[in-house]
Amino acid sequence: MTLALRDPPAPDSPLARWDARWKLAGLLALSAGASLLETPGPLAALLALTAALAVVGGRIAVTAVVGRALLLALPVAPLLVVLPLADGRRGGLVAAAVSARLVAVGLTALVLIRTTGFPTLLAAAQGLRVPGVLVAVAQAAYRYSFVLAGEARRTRVALRTRGFRLRSDRRTYQTVGYSVGALLVRSADRAETVAAAMRVRGFSGAFHTTTAFRTTAADVVGFAAAIAAVAGLVAWDRGSAGDE
Amino acid sequence: MSDALSARQLAHTYADGRVALHPMTFAVRAGERVALVGPNGAGKTTLFLRVAGVLPGKPGHLAVCGLDPALAAHRSALPAKVGIVFQNPDDQLFAPTLREDVAFGPLNLGATAAAAVAVAEEMLARVGLPGAGDRTPHTLSGGEKRRAAVAGVLAMRPEVVLLDEPSMYLDPRGRRELIRLLNGLPGTMVVATHDLKFAAETCQRVLILDAGHLVADGPTATLFTNAALLDRHGLELP
Repeated sequence: MTLALRDPPAPDSPLARWDARWKLAGLLALSAGASLLETPGPLAALLALTAALAVVGGRIAVTAVVGRALLLALPVAPLLVVLPLADGRRGGLVAAAVSARLVAVGLTALVLIRTTGFPTLLAAAQGLRVPGVLVAVAQAAYRYSFVLAGEARRTRVALRTRGFRLRSDRRTYQTVGYSVGALLVRSADRAETVAAAMRVRGFSGAFHTTTAFRTTAADVVGFAAAIAAVAGLVAWDRGSAGDE
Repeated sequence: MSDALSARQLAHTYADGRVALHPMTFAVRAGERVALVGPNGAGKTTLFLRVAGVLPGKPGHLAVCGLDPALAAHRSALPAKVGIVFQNPDDQLFAPTLREDVAFGPLNLGATAAAAVAVAEEMLARVGLPGAGDRTPHTLSGGEKRRAAVAGVLAMRPEVVLLDEPSMYLDPRGRRELIRLLNGLPGTMVVATHDLKFAAETCQRVLILDAGHLVADGPTATLFTNAALLDRHGLELP
């Protein structure tokens, strides 16, 4: 039996064909730009841009994009209620800005993940001079998230077969604590074995990949467009802030 | 024929004072198939980790394909000579796809990406997983994971292959396929197991370990018919 998470599908799309290194750099720049925006107009444009990137550029289903946007906005939803009450229109604008930035960055990450295979994304990170150890750690974290999810699920099944049910009592908290503790201890043991298994196959801290990249003019144009969009949004934002 | 692996008065004590291996002496000739059998806690995995240089240390002397794993300068050259297939394939298959995982070793040894991919595809086909390079490890069955782990080690073309409990987690079909695969491989092989039937089907010689002591060394056919010896060391006749 295989108990595991599923990889999200990566449909063919213009963004899926964009060289992952340029895409990673362009979308990171877009995310960084998003964190600088404060006024409603540029923030709305940013949201529209990231949604269009996801739906048109990445061919991600509209329902998936909307669902993810709502999920991203959920943690800051209380701000949308509390801040207007506390600070009127200004509070409302701050809450909306925080939500918009969060959703925009989240959608950008969604575009990146759904249009790029994970090994390719790691290779792109390496191509952008991210240290090899960090890339290897990210690779292991991705791979073992599936193993740990499987183990957590097996533990839950084992608990249920022995009559355990989640309740709001001390015993439940204790049992969940034990389970999480056991999972962490097993993870630590596994980390040591995985490290040994990597060392015996010659790993010395450098990350190597089989992915080869070839930059085309379209890749550079895409990156330039992303930078231009960020610069335009930031300039508009600064101008709007000055008017206010 | 020269020795691929030789141990002289080899012993190992962990940092917490637990003695895992008492002084033992043996040699494995190049091309030989040897089963390392014994109950749980006998010291089989510790011995493997010493041979591969993962657990560096003294006392005793160990030579693996002419290299001394106790020496840091030799340890860095060991991955090209010795490969270990770990007990749990999930400990070994760490990359997001099988191609990346099998290519991992060759890339570390300096192969180009194209050469590493070619070796990965060749080894995946050799272990019965042709065209599976894009598959993710978590979608494989236990037997497939084991074969992919073997491919990852074979891709480095080691002179000595160490297999730790290879029949664990396998159903009868997976076990049969693995036996067929191992019997078709060239080179020196040491199989640590307490599955004596598996050992009998893959190895001509047996080393019996018990509580860190090397208690017997001889032909499989001879030792596996000595019921009293097997019983004394917590093993059962195949």
